[in-house]
Amino acid sequence: MTDPAAWLERIRALPLAGRVRVMNVCGGHERSISRAGLRALLPPQVELIPGPGCPVCVCPEEDIYDAIALAQRDEVTLVAFGDMLRVPCNAPKAQPRSLEQARAAGGDVRPIASPAEAVRIARDNPARQVVFFMAGFETTTAPLAGMIAEGLPDNLSILLSARLTWPAVAMLLASGEVGFDALVAPGHVATVMGPEEWDFVPAAHNIPAAVAGFGADSLLASLYSVLRQHVEDRAFLDNCYPVLVRPGGNPTARRLMDECFEVVDANWRGIGVLPASGFALRPHLAAHDARLRFDLAADPHRKRAGEMPPGCDCARVVLGRIYPDQCRLFGAACTPSSPVGPCMVSDEGACRIWWSTGKRECRPEDAPPAPVTGDA
Amino acid sequence: MCLGIPMRIVERDGFNARCEAKGVSRTVSLFLMQHEPLEVGDFVMVHTGYAIEKMTEAEAASAWEIYDEMLAIELAEDAAMRAAADAAASPGHA
Ligand code: SF4
Repeated sequence: MTDPAAWLERIRALPLAGRVRVMNVCGGHERSISRAGLRALLPPQVELIPGPGCPVCVCPEEDIYDAIALAQRDEVTLVAFGDMLRVPCNAPKAQPRSLEQARAAGGDVRPIASPAEAVRIARDNPARQVVFFMAGFETTTAPLAGMIAEGLPDNLSILLSARLTWPAVAMLLASGEVGFDALVAPGHVATVMGPEEWDFVPAAHNIPAAVAGFGADSLLASLYSVLRQHVEDRAFLDNCYPVLVRPGGNPTARRLMDECFEVVDANWRGIGVLPASGFALRPHLAAHDARLRFDLAADPHRKRAGEMPPGCDCARVVLGRIYPDQCRLFGAACTPSSPVGPCMVSDEGACRIWWSTGKRECRPEDAPPAPVTGDA
Repeated sequence: MCLGIPMRIVERDGFNARCEAKGVSRTVSLFLMQHEPLEVGDFVMVHTGYAIEKMTEAEAASAWEIYDEMLAIELAEDAAMRAAADAAASPGHA
């Protein structure tokens, strides 16, 4: 293992001709980068762009609305990862706009930290209908598959908003407005699914890519790798997190995921439907699908259904089209203690991460591109 | 959610294990690790209560060094944020 200072030195020695934009697609990566202040340490040509790495941020507004509706039913106990409780939907006035507000209004809403807790709550409360509202990427979908495979109590159902990570990158690469020159791929997604999922980035698009872990050494190793690939015009997929990421990923997790879920076209909040980007419960699990168990008919007249909250630029933040502080509400109208959009709620949201690592003010969108954070 | 936590197995009963990290102990499911023989004393990367991969003690230690710093700052910040929110009796947003 090489230490961070040595990696930095190698990066600084690379003959970078011009601007190189490196996108990450994992809230954990963005957190490590911001915490360690990596942006300030890198050569000025290198831009690190937070991309689609926050499952909470892209969870469809309609699903949050449905979860809130379920939480208001007398017979329902709604459980969700803590991050989901404060995510706002566009409910009509006088109705709860988040699960937290539904709870304040008397709904039985409980934050959990593990799918296993959902099972325990269902077993402990056999007279209640327990609904697990699950938004997550592959790293949380795998544990969900484990939970399902171990056996579900009859009174437990799942409102599933699980997404795959790579299709959002595929969409950006196919969009004609790519916005990045190199990719740092998510280490724990690759631990579960295998690094091969990311082969298409260099193979089909000639974009350098490297799988990274969460320490400064692994992240810097991946940055060095993609920058060097860029300089040498030789794109391939590098594995800079070999301690956990093995060829083929975690075979048990992948088998169980395949038994439980099919991959379907799925809606991403503010972005739209991406092909083959979501997990849905397979037909043999229909009895545990909350969408089928409860009558969740969408109200065709509800205003702003599916949209981001008014004024919130989360969708563009998620896609790496703007930096968090380029949203006009950043740091003023929108802060972690009174968040407007999901990107300021979730621990993995880029707005929240930037705010909590010391960036507190917004800047105009046409300001110079290279943001220097990490002064926290 | 995506930040895994490296933990050490201290007790095992079927697919359930008691795991420890930094003096904190948790029940962790080993259900996703059926392809890998695991014993008491082994280290695993844990995501939302489920081990997703085995790791060595050295790897776990270096991961913890990073997390320690990050988590300490974040916990302090969270507490400050909550206090500020309570004090402001949040007017809420339209
Ligand atoms: S700063 Fe707030 S309103 Fe703006 S994009 Fe981020 S979450 Fe949305």
